[in-house]
Amino acid sequence: MQAATKHLSGAVEPDAVSSTGFVLGRYVPQLFFTCAAILLPFLVNALWLKVLTAVAIYALTAASIALLYRRLGLVSLAQVALMGCGGWVALRFAHAFGLPFEVNLMAGGIFAGLIGMILAYPALRMRGLYLALITLMAAGGFGILINVIQFPNGGGGLTGFEVRAITYMPRPVIAISDAAYFSYCMVVIAFGFLLIDVHERGRAGRGWALIRKSEASAMAAGVNVTLYKVWGFALSGFLAGVAGALLAGNLQLLDARSFPPAESVMIFALTVVGGAWHWYGAVIAALLYRLVPAFLNDLGLDGNAAYIIFGLALIHALITAPKGLAGQLSDGLKRLARRGPNA
Amino acid sequence: MKRTSLFFAASTAIVVLGGSSAMAAPQCGLNNGQKATGEPIKVGAVVGQTGPDDFSSSADAARAYFNCVNENGGINGRPIEYLVEDDQWNPEVAGQVATKLVKDEGVVALVASGSFVEMAVNAKLYADEDVMAMASACAVAECFESKNIVSTNQGPLPSSVGAAQWAAANLGSKNVVCIGLTIPSVGPYSCGWTEKYMQSKGLSGSSILLDPGAADMNASVLETVASGADTVLVNLPAGMAAAYLKAVEEQNLRDNFKWISSTPLYDTEVPAMLGTYWDGVMNINIELTPIDRTGPDATNWRAVMDKYARPQDPRDTFSQSGYLSARFFTDALLKLDPANIDRKVVSEAIRAIKNETSDLLCGPYYVGNADRHMPNHANMMVQIAGSGFTVISGCADVDSAYLDPVRAAERDLGITN
Amino acid sequence: MNVLGLFLVSGLSVGALYALGGVGLVLLNRATGVLNFAYGAMGAAGAMTAWQLLEWNWPEPLAWVACVGIALALSLAFGGLIAPGLARREPIVKAIATLGFALALLGTMNLLWVVTPRKLTLTFDGLSVAILGLRVTGTRLLALLVGIGVTLGMGLFLARTRVGLMMRALADNRQVASILGVPVGRVETIAWGISGVLAGFTGLMFATLVRLDPAVLTFLVIPIIATTIIGRLTSIPASFAAGLAIGVLESLLALYKPLAPFRVATPFIVAIIAMMWLQRGRRLTFAGQD
Repeated sequence: MQAATKHLSGAVEPDAVSSTGFVLGRYVPQLFFTCAAILLPFLVNALWLKVLTAVAIYALTAASIALLYRRLGLVSLAQVALMGCGGWVALRFAHAFGLPFEVNLMAGGIFAGLIGMILAYPALRMRGLYLALITLMAAGGFGILINVIQFPNGGGGLTGFEVRAITYMPRPVIAISDAAYFSYCMVVIAFGFLLIDVHERGRAGRGWALIRKSEASAMAAGVNVTLYKVWGFALSGFLAGVAGALLAGNLQLLDARSFPPAESVMIFALTVVGGAWHWYGAVIAALLYRLVPAFLNDLGLDGNAAYIIFGLALIHALITAPKGLAGQLSDGLKRLARRGPNA
Repeated sequence: MKRTSLFFAASTAIVVLGGSSAMAAPQCGLNNGQKATGEPIKVGAVVGQTGPDDFSSSADAARAYFNCVNENGGINGRPIEYLVEDDQWNPEVAGQVATKLVKDEGVVALVASGSFVEMAVNAKLYADEDVMAMASACAVAECFESKNIVSTNQGPLPSSVGAAQWAAANLGSKNVVCIGLTIPSVGPYSCGWTEKYMQSKGLSGSSILLDPGAADMNASVLETVASGADTVLVNLPAGMAAAYLKAVEEQNLRDNFKWISSTPLYDTEVPAMLGTYWDGVMNINIELTPIDRTGPDATNWRAVMDKYARPQDPRDTFSQSGYLSARFFTDALLKLDPANIDRKVVSEAIRAIKNETSDLLCGPYYVGNADRHMPNHANMMVQIAGSGFTVISGCADVDSAYLDPVRAAERDLGITN
Repeated sequence: MNVLGLFLVSGLSVGALYALGGVGLVLLNRATGVLNFAYGAMGAAGAMTAWQLLEWNWPEPLAWVACVGIALALSLAFGGLIAPGLARREPIVKAIATLGFALALLGTMNLLWVVTPRKLTLTFDGLSVAILGLRVTGTRLLALLVGIGVTLGMGLFLARTRVGLMMRALADNRQVASILGVPVGRVETIAWGISGVLAGFTGLMFATLVRLDPAVLTFLVIPIIATTIIGRLTSIPASFAAGLAIGVLESLLALYKPLAPFRVATPFIVAIIAMMWLQRGRRLTFAGQD
């Protein structure tokens, strides 16, 4: 509980233990994702490669949620809807202009970032459950809206949707196959985590830490509270939008029914379970969100039984692991490390 | 699509339907009574089992048929290993399980798939890998506009247009309002073409589209009244249709309109669920022939289900459709050299299927090489009568411009209807 | 035929459902600080049980009792077994734990009752009165009347009774209330109980008037939360009024064709606008709860 309070107060905990490992330690996530990008395509078959691609994409979404939660103490229950926004724009751009995938990816990210800035507006006046519910309402509204206007399928007009069989969104030229696309996603995600890291260690991170402690003292210290809150939401929205564009590229289409508000709540819940205070908490969250259900499905377990297991495990993890599974894991490792030399 | 509850009423369907077919022995494949023991041929299916509706009954029927084939000589001695995956109504999962079947398991074809999401996601995979999908329970545009997917059922478009066509001819309908879902590849796809059909005949048509999660049916009923239509085409999943019709009953508006529906309401439990209010009033279009017929395939379908299916597997339209897909597939494979069956050969064999007939279908079944496939486009009408249905019109071909490319392909293939 | 009047009455009858749903949510949130995402799932479990009993030809009153009883038991089970483990956590963590419970309940229901179209019909459906030309069934009237009754009754209960006082004390400041000797556990149990009974009744009404589908009923909790946001999660009368207003607005939008397909989004949009308006001119300076 003590440690949790320390985290809640916004103190930045150094990731690296020793000073020599500091530089390397800082880039552990990037190393991890790069290794995964190179090795995993050789180790797993087509099914698990697809599943792991989804895991990678949702890890970025979970990281975008964890960023807001960890740094600003804000809860966004609209991240899956923001993914939908990013995915919509990426699809629309891809079908309308035939530009390279990277341009569509950035366009999706930037659009979702702008929507994130709009969500920051209520965050200037509210926090806690109220803010969370406002974002949930936004996600609910998006779910209805997208059901009516639909994701672009290669049609004309503003919405890019026509009632006919779908035209698939092209993948990046260097990542046409499933294996290459997996590695591509991993690289994008490594950059995403780097972007978060750079922000947390820079000016924005210091501003967020002060805001989290007390907005009054942040203001007294000359921190522009409005700016940094909007900045946080914009960054979080951008990352979710990029994840949405990656998802669009993965399936080469998006389906409106994939973005109900309950999914946004679900991925937030799993981010808390995974642990918002460690970078790999987001990876754990994504594994829980996509790998575990796929595993249960592959075992031939009834989808409804999987729901029961999933729901109960969620409750159990929330009660027993207040710092998330990543917190438990890292505490366990630290204890081992401390005991190590004596043994 | 419809499955009686596992625990409480599993036996109803058997009692009701099983009676007429108790003495017939199932016929399938080589029909020689010998168990197939060779190297298995892997065949897959993707079904939407967990989610807003259960679309697995087509694969249940195909599984029963393949069990029967395996007990009766298999594919010239080789058994079929049938792998069914649940897409959970989730596009991502649909992509994953299809990849597993096509790439990891290396299935030679997909037979009797039934899903709302799978076909749109995987049409490209099937085309890239050149694997044929002989689907059985399809609902979206991609099922009927893809090179490598051919479905035995018709989907909502011919069913809706067929119902409107029948109403215009037999009820004197001048203005049809189509109540559909906002999901475009379902609602606007079928309701849109129904409107086009009405306009092409100099009549009028309109649509009211509902969100799948809509709580308020009253306003939709009022919208229906405001539309000025004389005929209502209920083109909704059965659960939503029941809610809509209940709101109509609440307002007692039945006699203000003529009532037609697409296939989802053709389900043994629907008459009891809707109640006597709709008795003799609701006219439903059906994509295959009625489930209680006694033709050779209808009888054999029930016999196969009784002997080889699980007791809780439903006996509905999609089950008939799954049985037929499995039978056409088996018949195509039996023409091949058993030592030389791979995906390429099987895809060719499926494309070569031509002029297959069945008493379960109104027209011939074929596949061919075209960019889109809709072999089944003639349908029938039934009416709710008591606790069941009575047939009110025989097979009629659907008259829609949507079918022009299909008919052109049929002319090329020499299919006569 | 007065079209506006028709849609107004139709909207009120839907609004009554939203309003009724909001009451139990707000009460529970006030007394325990838990926003219950499983509210719809509990009601759905009750309604499915009621349907099953009616299928077995049990008398209808028994089905009603079973429906409310199941929801009550589920609510008490969560409140007694799971909620204490999360008592010290943030409100949002408590809320998402209820989502886990909702998923587990939904999975259980879909295992027990395989997904298939079902319809629940109650005796009250047969009765109806005409209001402004629109026929309104007994069940709809019942939902509205019980909604009004519960709103008034809860107002009196909170204002006049000792337990009500304790609930208000808990809602204002939990730590101070417990120091002052409020038996937190007992008061919370009562709140979970009342909320469970309301969830059961609401579930039965929704199953009859909306659709008997566990998934639809489970996730209807999200638009209902919209009505409670307008009541700032604490005011029962405000939630009730918001529910009615949203229902009417949603229904009236059906008259305007371009917006008609979007009308299901009404609760969300109204909630966002109302919340922003209520919080206008406010600035956060000191760390606080809202």
